[in-house]
Amino acid sequence: MLSTMGEFRPMEARRPRRLVAAWLCLMAAGAVALTACTRPEAPSQGEPVILNIGATGEPVGLDPSTVNGAGTPFVLLYNVYETLVRIDGEGAIRPLLARDYSVSDDNKVYTFNLDGLAKFASNTPVDAEAVVTSFDRILKGDGITDQVTSKMAPVDSVKALDSDTVEVTLKQPSNQWLFDMAGPAGIIYDPAGLDTLDTKPAGSGPFAFAEWETGQFVKLVRNDHYWGTGTRVDEVFFRYYADPNAMNTAMLSGQLDIISNLTVPQALDQFGDPDKYTVIEGTTDGEVVLGFNHDNPQLADLKVRQAINYGIDRQALVDSVWGGKGMLIGSMVAPTDPWFEDLSKTYTFDQEKARALLKEAGFESGLTLRLRVPTLPYAPPAARFIAAQLKEIGVTVQVEELEFARWLSEVYTAGDYDMTIVAHVEPRDIGNFANPDYYWHYDNPAFADLIKKADEGSAQEQVTLMKEAAKMLADDAAADWLFLLPNLVITTKEVSGLEQNATSLSFDLTSVATNR
Amino acid sequence: MRRANLVVGGVLIAVIVSMAAVGLFWTPFSPTAISGPRLAPPGWPHVLGTDGQGSDTASRIISGAKLALLVGVMSVSAAALIGVPVGIIAGMSHRWVAAILSRGADILYGFPALLLAILFAAAVGGSTWTAVAAIGIATIPVFVRIARAATMQVMSQTFVEAARLSATPPLQVAWRHVLPNIAPVLGVQVSVSFGLAILAEAGLSYLGLGSGSDVPTWGRMLREAQNELFNAPLVALWPGLAIAMATMGFNLLGDGLRDLLDPKLREIA
Repeated sequence: MLSTMGEFRPMEARRPRRLVAAWLCLMAAGAVALTACTRPEAPSQGEPVILNIGATGEPVGLDPSTVNGAGTPFVLLYNVYETLVRIDGEGAIRPLLARDYSVSDDNKVYTFNLDGLAKFASNTPVDAEAVVTSFDRILKGDGITDQVTSKMAPVDSVKALDSDTVEVTLKQPSNQWLFDMAGPAGIIYDPAGLDTLDTKPAGSGPFAFAEWETGQFVKLVRNDHYWGTGTRVDEVFFRYYADPNAMNTAMLSGQLDIISNLTVPQALDQFGDPDKYTVIEGTTDGEVVLGFNHDNPQLADLKVRQAINYGIDRQALVDSVWGGKGMLIGSMVAPTDPWFEDLSKTYTFDQEKARALLKEAGFESGLTLRLRVPTLPYAPPAARFIAAQLKEIGVTVQVEELEFARWLSEVYTAGDYDMTIVAHVEPRDIGNFANPDYYWHYDNPAFADLIKKADEGSAQEQVTLMKEAAKMLADDAAADWLFLLPNLVITTKEVSGLEQNATSLSFDLTSVATNR
Repeated sequence: MRRANLVVGGVLIAVIVSMAAVGLFWTPFSPTAISGPRLAPPGWPHVLGTDGQGSDTASRIISGAKLALLVGVMSVSAAALIGVPVGIIAGMSHRWVAAILSRGADILYGFPALLLAILFAAAVGGSTWTAVAAIGIATIPVFVRIARAATMQVMSQTFVEAARLSATPPLQVAWRHVLPNIAPVLGVQVSVSFGLAILAEAGLSYLGLGSGSDVPTWGRMLREAQNELFNAPLVALWPGLAIAMATMGFNLLGDGLRDLLDPKLREIA
């Protein structure tokens, strides 16, 4: 993705390694040559139903618990692997493998009731033992990524009460934990297949893994032992493209049925013919953040941060950089989270106010800041736009583009930057601002306290406190939230059943259908 | 008629050079500022229209000429300054020294500028200077080869043999006899390499391995235009034309120089 940097489901991260690999997977995909894929002829009666899906972030491995990177859960989560609970299209937690669950009064003990019907693709039942084995494996942490183990950290013990009931005891209450169990950390693996997870994913989803041709495609086939309402699709190919424009061309020439995420929103009009294509426009969890290094004394000054927020016309930026697609959010909360509030008006574009604030802060004669960005599709154009606008309020912006691995070591890990731009795409990642060691070095104990209380409080308290926390961040101009990455999915007219919003890391195919 | 190459090449380069010279002091608009609506078609005041961010395309082309020439001059002169002496030494030395130097150049020849640029970008970050270094290093072997081949021809001539028999020090032989005689050949190569360097710089910028996104370069303009190709194909045309003009200009000039300097061709005419 060096050139046109396809991307895109970077998983952003509390821990460096997580993000590293997320992007590394993108880069690996970038090195890949475009593969010629021909769509099979329209199936007549009895021929298999095949879906070809264009994607840009190839997995780096097949076990979501041992490899980082968003490419892996994108393909496998909910499709091949299932979790006790899942996130639905509205961002809410819904039962999946667990028929239902109950929580103790102190919010520390969760009891999950399994269906008793669910089966792995190997035709063995998904029982309480499988859940305990899967969770224990994560808790033991051998070879498991930090990303996954950190999510299981609140857990004290996991035990099977009977063959269909699992009891999980937490060290302290955590709303985030249950949410995280709907993601890669909460996957229930087939105990019989644990030794070969890195080559042969073993789950209980509607699809089973068939083949991975590195650099070209991942193939899934229908799981005939599926316990729920099975899919009518026989085979799915996730085909990887280094160049998003090449992917668009493949779609236009009929080689693909679905573009899983359009990373060149400017090209959307190419799919404007409603007789041929369906365009799905929704939201994601990807906040594109202009991050400030709070260790920099200039940026530690609230007035400077506010001036920058006032000095950037974010709507014009989205129009220029991302084809006008992408919502303005104003804080670190995605619209599918229950505590979302539109905070995008906190600092509306006002160059006069920006100049005045800079003057108050003592930078009447201007100041110079380094904007070091990774070479990802949105970052360099956004940097160019921001440099042009901030120049008008007297801030000289020196743009530096860093190849992603280098960005990770210098900016993300070593903190050698003043400002940077990256999309944080993990669901519910506002907690990163509560960690003073995170690369923003934002240290606000009052905010951290709110986040902690929200995590431990009741559902209602959580919503109230999270709203408060999001507002606090926005008022404090802790960063400049440029826009929210849109979920742009293109399908042929025949395809249906895809979610509008990307609320998890999965490209959810569980209800996809085609009447081709 | 034989001079057509020379003339056309010269004119094209004159246009580019004067653009760069003007660009040092003046452009219609600031090449980095947002000076108009997005994707405005060519007209007035934006003669070549505006790009996807609303910057004036003409200003960016003019400003880009400066950088294209700068990278060309820096990388080609660096390559010539290293490559030519090595080539002359190889051409004047005994068999094994010559072999080592030539094979060394061959090994270097195996690394394309693109690969070097990616390595540099990974090691120290992409910038104008890493682009210059990558293109410069990748151009060295060409100069080594050309200089060596030309030197060997000169070395077999009687006047050089006479100089050597009269115990003239090798350095003096190289300076007095070899260099002046191979200079025309090198001149042709400089012109051709210059065109290639500008093309390579555009390629690196296109890939995001060159100057930062706030520096307008032709390659970067092409890259930015790519995403708008469907909506505004003209935006990609201008930087493409500029690159084609510069590359063609230097190549034609090189061809023209070769024709001019080649005595055999001169006799035929």
